[in-house]
Amino acid sequence: MVWPLIVLVAAPVLAGLGSLLVKERRAVEALQCIQAGALLASALMVFERVVADGGLSVGILLQTDALSAWLDLIIGVVGSTGTLFAVGYMGEEFARGHLTLQRYSRFFCLFDLYVAAMLTAVNQDNIAIMWIAIEGSTLSAALLIGFERSQAALEAGWKYVILSAVGISLALFGTILIYYSSEHVLGVSSEALRWSQLYQVAERLHPAAIKIAFIFALVGYGTKAGVAPMHTWLPDAHAEAPTPVSAMLSANMLTLAVYAILRFKIITDRTVGPEFCDTLLVGLGSLSLTVAATFLLVQRDFKRLFAYSSIEHIGIALLGFGIGGAGTFAGAWHLLNHALAKSAAFYGAGLVFLGHEHRMLDRVTGLLVHMPLAGIAILVAGLALAGMPPFGLFTSELLIAVSTYAVRPEVAGVFLLLLTLAFATLLYQVFRMILGVPAGPGRPLGRQCCLFAGTAIGVNMAVLGAIGLNVPQEMTVVLDAIVKLFGRATEIP
Amino acid sequence: MPLLTPHVGSQLVDLGSALLLLICFAIVAQRRLSACVDLFALQSVFLAATAALVAFLTGIHHIYIAAALTIVIKAIVIPRILKRVIERLNVARELVMNVNVPAGLLICGGLVMLAFFITQPIIPLGFLLTRDSLAIALAIMLIGFFTMIARKKAVTQVIGFLVMENGLFLGASAAAYGMPLIVELGVFFDVLVGALIIGIYTHRLQDAFDSVDTSKLTILKE
Repeated sequence: MVWPLIVLVAAPVLAGLGSLLVKERRAVEALQCIQAGALLASALMVFERVVADGGLSVGILLQTDALSAWLDLIIGVVGSTGTLFAVGYMGEEFARGHLTLQRYSRFFCLFDLYVAAMLTAVNQDNIAIMWIAIEGSTLSAALLIGFERSQAALEAGWKYVILSAVGISLALFGTILIYYSSEHVLGVSSEALRWSQLYQVAERLHPAAIKIAFIFALVGYGTKAGVAPMHTWLPDAHAEAPTPVSAMLSANMLTLAVYAILRFKIITDRTVGPEFCDTLLVGLGSLSLTVAATFLLVQRDFKRLFAYSSIEHIGIALLGFGIGGAGTFAGAWHLLNHALAKSAAFYGAGLVFLGHEHRMLDRVTGLLVHMPLAGIAILVAGLALAGMPPFGLFTSELLIAVSTYAVRPEVAGVFLLLLTLAFATLLYQVFRMILGVPAGPGRPLGRQCCLFAGTAIGVNMAVLGAIGLNVPQEMTVVLDAIVKLFGRATEIP
Repeated sequence: MPLLTPHVGSQLVDLGSALLLLICFAIVAQRRLSACVDLFALQSVFLAATAALVAFLTGIHHIYIAAALTIVIKAIVIPRILKRVIERLNVARELVMNVNVPAGLLICGGLVMLAFFITQPIIPLGFLLTRDSLAIALAIMLIGFFTMIARKKAVTQVIGFLVMENGLFLGASAAAYGMPLIVELGVFFDVLVGALIIGIYTHRLQDAFDSVDTSKLTILKE
């Protein structure tokens, strides 16, 4: 039964192209709602299949293993709520006359193709085709970030295009190096680019070539993941992009880039042992955490605030993967919970931006009173992102801290210190927004906007709460399979 | 005895790669934008020739297709687009650079050494025919990257990016005997779309800022 996988990849392509063709706003909305439903349902079904059978494939076109299924779940669920939020958000922009119908449909076309490219990238067995799909997502994101065409948006878009063009070229060089090494073992053919084959023969690949390939992939995809010191595009892009796009960038694209790094890590670990990648990941993860924790405090723009929080959480996840074992388990768990919480935070931020038409943090105080929906979204997501129980990020951060103590005690102290700093600064900033004297009503939002945004926020919150402190059985199965891919047994302390 | 012994073939491939590298230096030294575009087109022609040579010597036919695509897209289509952008934007010269020409050339020399240093442990792994191409490919990528940093005009940054892509392609086709065809096609498609999108951005930057000088992009900072 492979059709959920086909639907998962094909639905956004069809909905995107369809949105360009239909000449009616309501029809575009209907298409997007169908897409949201299809994404959610098919992602869950693919996940179920992988839980039952361990994998799923459509010939050599699409192939899914545990790690892919995990990403399918993240991109599927957040992609689905993101689409709903986009319908509300862009609908409001349209109703206010900021957009023509043509640009409205073009936005959804780009948005859907962006989601489709990401889903294609994760359901691939071929590392070069994965690269092509990731490049596709980069290009569509480039147009989405500059979508509003203001000077600031164009500047952010230009920064993003140039930095990610360089990053993605470096990643391609890493891919070529893998091929350069593997074609001597697997022959000059596509077989030499397939994960499943590479994993089998990893011990026979040339260690130096694989090490250099990993460094190129880490820097290249790391640029896309917003890993410090290549993160400079990230806050600008997240702040200037239309908010539904910010949510998708943060929750899905960063996660996708981490996924690509992990694929290279699995091969490298098997070829040269885990020490090499682990040191690099722990180093870069800690650096990102340091940069983010410092800059969180000085942010005056609430979208930039959440952008820096993304750098922080990607850093934490990388650190977890660098610790290995239970850390890998926690890292993957962290990625899912971060995606859910961060997109909910951006949905809230989007509503605030629509209401006030600026992003100054200290001029939107008292949100809980004057914009309860946005206020609740930002409060709950903020608590989750700060790492408070009963949310999954608490579990994963605790687990990473404990495994760090076991494996690299010298890092653990720094990690906890930075985590505390980030916790305090993020919560301080969030409370400044949601409490205090209400900042005046702002522009009222249309009913449709509130309905769609409310649904998106509600679904995210419900999932976030439901998986909260205990990892559901099916997810444990998949997470264990992911840890096995990295070749070390899990021991959850 | 055939004229093209593997030894001669290997020398020819090295020659082609070295010419590509030489053009990189010329691009770094060139201030006139349209000349930079011409140099890039010339580099793409040499790249296609080198790739075709590899295809001929190894008998791997799909590299011919990649070589033909290189001629069409990188030697003809993209240079045309860039020239039109330059004409429309009326930016003939790069008046201000972040790094002056002699210093730039010196840095590029250093980058070539760095590239040979990085690839040294893995060079013996390569096929006998094209052994040194990997190091040269990396050198070209690094110089392309340097051009993007050293120049301020959006158009020259695009050329830097395209030079990086040429380095990548040399790495793929010469050092690794070509990626599978489907991959090559995908990469070409992405490069073309990427160049178009960057082109669109330069237009919009011109409209919004009245300039394609990227050092004027300073609204967003901490």
